[in-house]
Amino acid sequence: MRIKIVRIVVIIAFLSIAGSLFYVQAVKGGYYFNLSTNNRIRVVPMEGWRGRIYDRNGVSIAENRIAYNVMITPQAIEDMDSLFDFLSETLEVDKDRLIRQYKSKKNTPFAPVQLMADIAQQQAIVLEENRYRFPSLFVEENFKRYYPLKNNSAHVLGYVGKVNRSSIKRYKEYGYSPLSVVGQSGIEEYYDLNLRGDEGGLQVEVNSRGQQVRLLSLKEPVRGKDIALTLDSRVQELAAKYLGNRPGAIVMMDTATGEIIGMTSAPSFDPNYFVDPKIRKAEGNVFNNENSPMMNRAISGRFPPGSVFKIPVAICGLHTKKIKPSSTYHCKGFHQMGGIRFGCTYPHGDQNLVESIAHSCNVYYYRMGLKVGADLLTQYALMFGLGQLTHIDLPYEAQGHIPNRKQGLLSKKRQWYPGDTLNFSIGQGDVLSTPLQLTQMMSTIANDGVEVRPHLIKSIGGVEVNQFDYRRQLDIDEEIFKVVKRGMRATVTDYTGTAHDLDNREIFVAGKTGTAQSAPNKDHHAWFAGYTKSDKGHMAFCVFLEHGGSSHNAVNITRQLLLHMKRDGLI
Amino acid sequence: MRLTLEKVLWGCTILIIGMGLIALYSATYDNVRVTQRIFYDQLVCAGLGFIVMYILSKIDYRRFYDVAYGFYALNVVLLILVLVMGRHALGATRWIQLGPISFQPSELSKLALILALGRYISDRKPVLSFGFFTKTQEFVRQFLFPLGMTGLLMLLIFKQPDLGTSLLLGGMFITMVFAGGIDYKIVFGFLGLCTVLSPFAWLILKPYQKDRLLVFLNPNIDPLGAGYTIIQSKIAIGSGQIFGKGWLSGTQNQLNFLPERHTDFIFSVIGEEWGLIGTMTLLFLYFILIMTSIQIAAQMKDRFGMIVTMGIVSIYTLQVVINIGMVIGMFPIVGLTLPLVSYGRSSFLVSVIMMGFLLNLSKKRTIF
Repeated sequence: MRIKIVRIVVIIAFLSIAGSLFYVQAVKGGYYFNLSTNNRIRVVPMEGWRGRIYDRNGVSIAENRIAYNVMITPQAIEDMDSLFDFLSETLEVDKDRLIRQYKSKKNTPFAPVQLMADIAQQQAIVLEENRYRFPSLFVEENFKRYYPLKNNSAHVLGYVGKVNRSSIKRYKEYGYSPLSVVGQSGIEEYYDLNLRGDEGGLQVEVNSRGQQVRLLSLKEPVRGKDIALTLDSRVQELAAKYLGNRPGAIVMMDTATGEIIGMTSAPSFDPNYFVDPKIRKAEGNVFNNENSPMMNRAISGRFPPGSVFKIPVAICGLHTKKIKPSSTYHCKGFHQMGGIRFGCTYPHGDQNLVESIAHSCNVYYYRMGLKVGADLLTQYALMFGLGQLTHIDLPYEAQGHIPNRKQGLLSKKRQWYPGDTLNFSIGQGDVLSTPLQLTQMMSTIANDGVEVRPHLIKSIGGVEVNQFDYRRQLDIDEEIFKVVKRGMRATVTDYTGTAHDLDNREIFVAGKTGTAQSAPNKDHHAWFAGYTKSDKGHMAFCVFLEHGGSSHNAVNITRQLLLHMKRDGLI
Repeated sequence: MRLTLEKVLWGCTILIIGMGLIALYSATYDNVRVTQRIFYDQLVCAGLGFIVMYILSKIDYRRFYDVAYGFYALNVVLLILVLVMGRHALGATRWIQLGPISFQPSELSKLALILALGRYISDRKPVLSFGFFTKTQEFVRQFLFPLGMTGLLMLLIFKQPDLGTSLLLGGMFITMVFAGGIDYKIVFGFLGLCTVLSPFAWLILKPYQKDRLLVFLNPNIDPLGAGYTIIQSKIAIGSGQIFGKGWLSGTQNQLNFLPERHTDFIFSVIGEEWGLIGTMTLLFLYFILIMTSIQIAAQMKDRFGMIVTMGIVSIYTLQVVINIGMVIGMFPIVGLTLPLVSYGRSSFLVSVIMMGFLLNLSKKRTIF
């Protein structure tokens, strides 16, 4: 009985399936057959519009332009010869080359072949006008990212490209397909989820001449959000101009808010390179350059800060009361310890704290380092954010490194010797930091111990972003900062100061130079980090030249840049 | 020579697998993304399958009874392992890697549950006394406990997520307890309850599963994504008309319009290239196969064998009906394969093994 019921259920199920098949294939078969041959369904993907990026003044620094691509549907070609004659005439390309290209790209008779990408608008119009003669031909439009600033902001902005194979798994969870365009570094990558549009498309019925007969369905593409950055494109231009092609970086940050006004890294590349095959041909391969132009030195480069590091050391000494502002040490050009001479630039004679900063006297800091001890130096360096991520809104930020006596000297894999404390106190040895970290440190000092969060985002889709608005107050007296700042100002104003070139009436600058030893047979790294004051707000900055020789070079660039900015009314 | 039921089973199985291989050859013909390697893979699987089928038909089938619970427990462990460390593909974690081979434990679940339920239901001792408590006891023993056994696997498989297989096990459970002789009231009451509760199931579905259901109701809401598959597959099958476009000549198939056409959507390749004649032939072969199996069950003297046979019948019927139904747009896309035809080592071999069981059981049906 029960088996009978099962039998009946199975018979009914099979009959209904058979009935449906009969309906689909025999009754409506003709209709579907037409759809599949004479009239055919084409899917025309429509890219979502990627959000624009603006600078702080509303200047567009990443936008989309429409590119026209020549497409050919192989199946619909009627007269191959006349089609390619016409194409070669209009596109001004050799006919044989076009045919070769077409044949190499042809896959199946029905899938359109992209014969040429990104042709001129005028050519596209001519092609469209002649479509009635060549049903196989059509012009496809898509968006191309365009970066008007070109090399100036390549590292901060990043660029866009197809999702690559290795990262598709990660992206899949966010709804990307292997054909999606995603930001590959910089802001484009960090804010990709905000910037990206959602793909839409048309499903159309076309007749045998390739013309649209009927729109079957439409899915509207969704626009991505426009975002505004804190960058000033004019500052970007000037910074890139004065940094030139020397490997290095410049960072400028508003000390009150943590807004990054300028960030440049050199050598740079044109981000349009990744979008436009024409530029790619002209520029050659950027990946194989020994100066690694793809790296954003401002946030991903780890370098010994050299004498710039003396600032947190001085604050450490003062705050732990191991020295007083008036404490004086005598410099005879070196410090002898355990049979080794630790050198200074030249014999400075008697130096107090302010003078030691202005003259960048190593011996003063050797003595102080020994008095304070390596452990406290580590603690204070960390307090100023060195050796830690600043959590700026950019991908691939480097952490840098602050040595720890208990870990020993990691680079040489040995235990800590007292001599290492001496190197430590002048920012050598294992100390590594990024230009951004030093900028943040300088802003904390300019703010008398209030640390702000460096960030680049101002608004997303017209809504202000305030997640970076919190601050941290260091537990150090204002008096201590006053002394250190006096030293940093004297670096510029004192006519024996290391940055005396910058002394002028137009701008107020205070800072600290650094000349850091790097590889044994290479030039030193040149640093100048500090802050400026003006009625337009205070700004912390860091100018860094990789193997740039003496810190003098960095001071020079700073002077040119700041004076030009002053002239243009930017500070 | 008499046409025995076994010969019919062998014949149908071989013909169906043969049709599947020919269709798969076409689906992978001159194709870059889905290479011909898949065809040869399936060919090897088919050869292996026949050997497995032959061996299974010779084993003493009481062995299956003995290992039923152990196999079930092993399957639960494997399913948990999949969730913890499985291989991820196409948005779901269904595969597990053991050395060089990877397989889907959810496919093994079909076998494990058939055997375990078969043993449990056939073991049930008759209750002698009457009264309210025994009735409740009987309800728990006859229905709730096997429901729990099924529910555990369903839940683990649903988590992967694999809605199709999960629902398939549910359908199989109903058929098996029904065949086991449970009260009609319980079965129909349960089916009624499921119908009432089904709207709430919406809440626990993954976004892509919801998309598929919505798209099933109106394929045009997402013509590029999930709706695309349904529209293109319908065009493929319909355009085959009565005689088909001919082998290797299906435009929808050869032009990559059909996604997943070597696995879940292989039937649309058959429909396009062989037309109504091909689809009806295949459907008829399945029909004969299933009807023969039911015949075997009807003649079976042994309860365990009968219930297991009914389980196999239910799996085959549901997979064939749901797969073809979703390919022609009658059902939402749930990701069930067409048994013996779709590419996929795990599902193919499990389908073959079930045929082996059937052959074995059918031989023993007159012993008692």
